[in-house]
Amino acid sequence: MHGFYRWSAKWWPGLIPLAILWAVAAWVSTIPLETDLTAHSTAALKNTILDKSQITVAGRDVSFSAEAFSEDGRRSAVSSVEATPGVRLVNDETRLVAEAKPFVWVAERDNVRVTLWGTAPLPASKARIVEAARAALSGTEVSDRMGLKRGAPPRFDAAAVLLLDQVAKLKEGKAVISDTNISLSGMARDLGGREAIAAALKNLPEGFTVAVNDVKAPPYVFQANKDPVTNTLTLSGYVPDNNIHAALASAAGRKFGNEKIVDNLKASIGAPGGFAAAVTTALGALSRLSTGTLVVSDREVKLSGDALYEVAADQIRASLARELPQGWQAKAEVSVKPAAAPVDASVCQQLFAQNLTKGRIRFEPSSASINVDSAGLLDRLVEIAMRCPNVKVEIAGHTDGDGDAAFNQSLSEKRAAAVEEYLVKAGLPADRFSTIGYGSTQPIATNDTDEGKLQNRRIEFVVRQAP
Amino acid sequence: MTYLAMFHWGWLLGAFLIGFCMGWIAVVYRGRSVSRVWIQRLSVIAAIIVGVAIAKVVPGRFGYWLDLGLALFGFYLVGCAIGSWLRDIVVVRQQARAS
Repeated sequence: MHGFYRWSAKWWPGLIPLAILWAVAAWVSTIPLETDLTAHSTAALKNTILDKSQITVAGRDVSFSAEAFSEDGRRSAVSSVEATPGVRLVNDETRLVAEAKPFVWVAERDNVRVTLWGTAPLPASKARIVEAARAALSGTEVSDRMGLKRGAPPRFDAAAVLLLDQVAKLKEGKAVISDTNISLSGMARDLGGREAIAAALKNLPEGFTVAVNDVKAPPYVFQANKDPVTNTLTLSGYVPDNNIHAALASAAGRKFGNEKIVDNLKASIGAPGGFAAAVTTALGALSRLSTGTLVVSDREVKLSGDALYEVAADQIRASLARELPQGWQAKAEVSVKPAAAPVDASVCQQLFAQNLTKGRIRFEPSSASINVDSAGLLDRLVEIAMRCPNVKVEIAGHTDGDGDAAFNQSLSEKRAAAVEEYLVKAGLPADRFSTIGYGSTQPIATNDTDEGKLQNRRIEFVVRQAP
Repeated sequence: MTYLAMFHWGWLLGAFLIGFCMGWIAVVYRGRSVSRVWIQRLSVIAAIIVGVAIAKVVPGRFGYWLDLGLALFGFYLVGCAIGSWLRDIVVVRQQARAS
């Protein structure tokens, strides 16, 4: 022991090279040590959930700043860094993520993109929501502007993901979660989208309620276009179901006896009340036009085109507004087609015959009341009569063989008179027309079949050259 | 400590070797010795510095450099002690052989 004292008294010269070694070691090792500790500290935080995590190492001291989502998580993160081998001190600059009150999250959709606003509770939630948005809205740009805050209601992620599915059904609009209240507004992409969204909202996670659902349906549109050049009636847009589709197709067939009907209608829910009645009425008005377009959008009926003569135009304008169901609006932009060139008596007879062969003036059963479906045909007959002002026309009524002969005779006369009345009301002089009823005495087909009877129930126009 | 020893083993080995050489020489060195009083004073200073290091009072890089210096110094002393001890054994044997 004594020797050690003696020797140690002479160890001091070695301190000079030791000091040099120290200086060199300090110079060379500081940066690598700090880099190594930064890497190890960062690795130690790999499994902790933090926001804005930042680690700065000076020597062996770590300055650690981060925002944690719970007090336990914050303590655990600090402990992890403290436990990193080589770390001497941890300068704890961590804090809890701010709490949002109310906790608001927004998914807003416009024509170009979906923007996610507001706050998510955890980075994992944020990632899941963004992923769900990309999946639900494939092909649409997703812009993530969400922040992270505490205070989310339970099952927030599930609610947000469900709402993203609903946002996908919107053309434009937004979904908002404010604490446990859900608000939706905007325009549904498709007909039925509004109803689908309302149904889906019933599956919201427990605790969430729909405060506002202000999603609007796109206009329920039905269109019909009458083209005299191609002689077609094109139907497009939506009808509520197959029954109404069939009913409207049948009504169109009766009203547009001369035209080929192109039916492009699709069935979809969301039709306004009184749709079938309104469209039937509007189709009747369109049938009286020479050329025209009918657009039914929600509860608005817009009819535009050319009537065959002035009185018809007035009648169409007045009757459309009058006959639509309550709550429906009519907008008739009906002008009058320029008068066609006059024709001589033989052409006139030919035109009458053509129209009365293709179409048929219909009456209510056992009655002289003209069926409304025949208005279009009658207007065409009026127009033809106007083109040959110098001819007199005999209007002949015929019935089928059913029933009493005297009744049929009387009915045929009344029906001929009803047609004459229609022509006179259209502005034609009464003295140009005479009426005659033949009852069932001049059948053109057998009265043994329904088809034959249908042909026998007819009105004929016979041109008599004016003296 | 294990981390520091592993990270700085080269420098610590260097300090140990310097100490070993110094210890080896010190046994037969005829130069000036540090007085007992000064050794005690320096020991007290060293103890205070160790206390400062343990208390982690010095922050950041200076704290690290202090720790590094003390570690090197510790290995130096160990080297000195082993060097002196081995040299002493050699010297004693030579003296025994000479007599």
